[in-house]
Amino acid sequence: MDATECIQAASSFLLQSPPGEINDVLNDVRNIISDDDLLQEGVLPALKEYNIAQFITVDVPGTSHQSIVSEAARVSLEGEEERFVDPRSKTTFIFDHLSLEASDSQPFEPDAEHEPFRVALESATISYLSAHFHDGVGAVFSRPNNPKEYVIQLVVNKYNPTNYWSGRWRSEYIVNLNENKVSGKILVNVHYYEQGNVQLSATHNLSFALPPAVVTSASNTSASKILALVEDEEGKYQISLNESYQEMGEKTFKGLRRALPMTRQKIDWDKVLGYKLGAELSSSKGVFGSS
Amino acid sequence: MADLVDSMLDLMRRLPPTRTEENVAALVSICPDYADDLLGSVDQPLQLKTDRATGREYLACDYNRDGESYRSPWSNEYDPPLDDGTVPSPKLRKLEITANEAFDTYREMYFEGGVSSVYLWDLDDGGFAGVVLLKKTMAPATVNDPSGSWDSIHVFETSERGRQAHYKLTSTVMLQLVTRKGNEGGTGEGVKKPEVKKGSDEWKRDGEVSLSGSMTRQTEQDWPIHDQSSHITNTGKMIEEMEIKMRNLLQEVYFGKTRDIVYDLRSVDDLEKARRQRELQKELVGFIKR
Repeated sequence: MDATECIQAASSFLLQSPPGEINDVLNDVRNIISDDDLLQEGVLPALKEYNIAQFITVDVPGTSHQSIVSEAARVSLEGEEERFVDPRSKTTFIFDHLSLEASDSQPFEPDAEHEPFRVALESATISYLSAHFHDGVGAVFSRPNNPKEYVIQLVVNKYNPTNYWSGRWRSEYIVNLNENKVSGKILVNVHYYEQGNVQLSATHNLSFALPPAVVTSASNTSASKILALVEDEEGKYQISLNESYQEMGEKTFKGLRRALPMTRQKIDWDKVLGYKLGAELSSSKGVFGSS
Repeated sequence: MADLVDSMLDLMRRLPPTRTEENVAALVSICPDYADDLLGSVDQPLQLKTDRATGREYLACDYNRDGESYRSPWSNEYDPPLDDGTVPSPKLRKLEITANEAFDTYREMYFEGGVSSVYLWDLDDGGFAGVVLLKKTMAPATVNDPSGSWDSIHVFETSERGRQAHYKLTSTVMLQLVTRKGNEGGTGEGVKKPEVKKGSDEWKRDGEVSLSGSMTRQTEQDWPIHDQSSHITNTGKMIEEMEIKMRNLLQEVYFGKTRDIVYDLRSVDDLEKARRQRELQKELVGFIKR
């Protein structure tokens, strides 16, 4: 395998990392490929892609809150040094995709016209987070190229390596005030790996129209109403996820393998051996553990 | 370099189980020298093959592979054919035939469908080892129907000690469940379309839930033996017991643990309200005490 193929394979592994396990995956990859010089340069694009896609949270220098590193947070232009914005503290920063640390914060001048509504959405988002998420992080971005469009992102991570599990919930909503609609997606990942490897991966896309009453209200009221609709959607989704669990447990799981044979008794192996074929067996009742 | 294999196994324990085959293939191309170690220790979904001689389906895995060919338990033939493919000794092949019949019965009673295969091989110290494979797949009838698959791999080793035999059993079950939900038709109770206010083009919901993975457990036991066929009775009982245990375990982890973690991330109830209520209660208690 040549260097390019090695990097490709390593990058693919990294992009598949479960929540909070990117460093474990990176350590394994380093040991397997054992060429740190090659990896150091080569896997950086994959780390960047992973962090941005997974809404990696970062401590914003000089503040006591965390913000989200994502495509919506990227403020640098093509060819410039990559910078991300934390709209809440109105600063931009450089993000190290390996150490996951922010540095060199600089003041950021938001767009004056859309900032009041963005701030209103941000405070509604923070209240929503504290109502339904344990240690969630949220951020609301306005879009310089699409005025009247706002991006709400939230992420919550739980890492519990001692008990071999981790989980991540990501949501993103694009609030479009030109068309008065909201479109969004919810992504849930869970990894349970005590003596095994079990993963839940759930994706959900949704969109809904904003009623005129919501759009024409004052910005604070309007923002709270939008977040109330998001809360309603996410609540319904969580209930439907629960129903999917039940359906998979009741229908699929039971349909794959019975807990016990139809006879409700374990197999009598001595009798099974006495018969040549399963077909003969199904027509005879005495075999099923009648002892 | 044992720790290289450890790193590979650790990696496979973290990457999505739905992509095991692709990831194992990538690891084999990075470290071709460790291909055997890796293929021997990472369980991959069982492949379905059809015996050319009997037309009967069987399961292929690393244990019935010789080069690029796989041996069928029904005809004992390799496909593609091999002149010098490894086969069990005549005595062991006789036991293998009986074991395949017995576990085919077991399969029908517990899985009510699917395919089973048993392969045995002689060990250098005079004992023998074997693998019991079971696979069942549920294909969705429509896009929104749930689908799933169950793969069991039970590897055992036995050595006789007089009238007793010692068994070491390692069992892996791979289980995959997928549910898709769309806007129209058969969406289940979870997704109800609001009847007023929202037009169909403004309202959209679809998604997929996938639970996939594998769990492995081991046990060692001693059982009495009367003749060769006692090995089938003994391993049969052990495997049946193990699968019942693992089915419970999978149920607990798939539908209990992973669901609890989702609820650890997000709460359906309003946490802020609960917090306020607790504070109010504290105040009241303080008030009464005063």
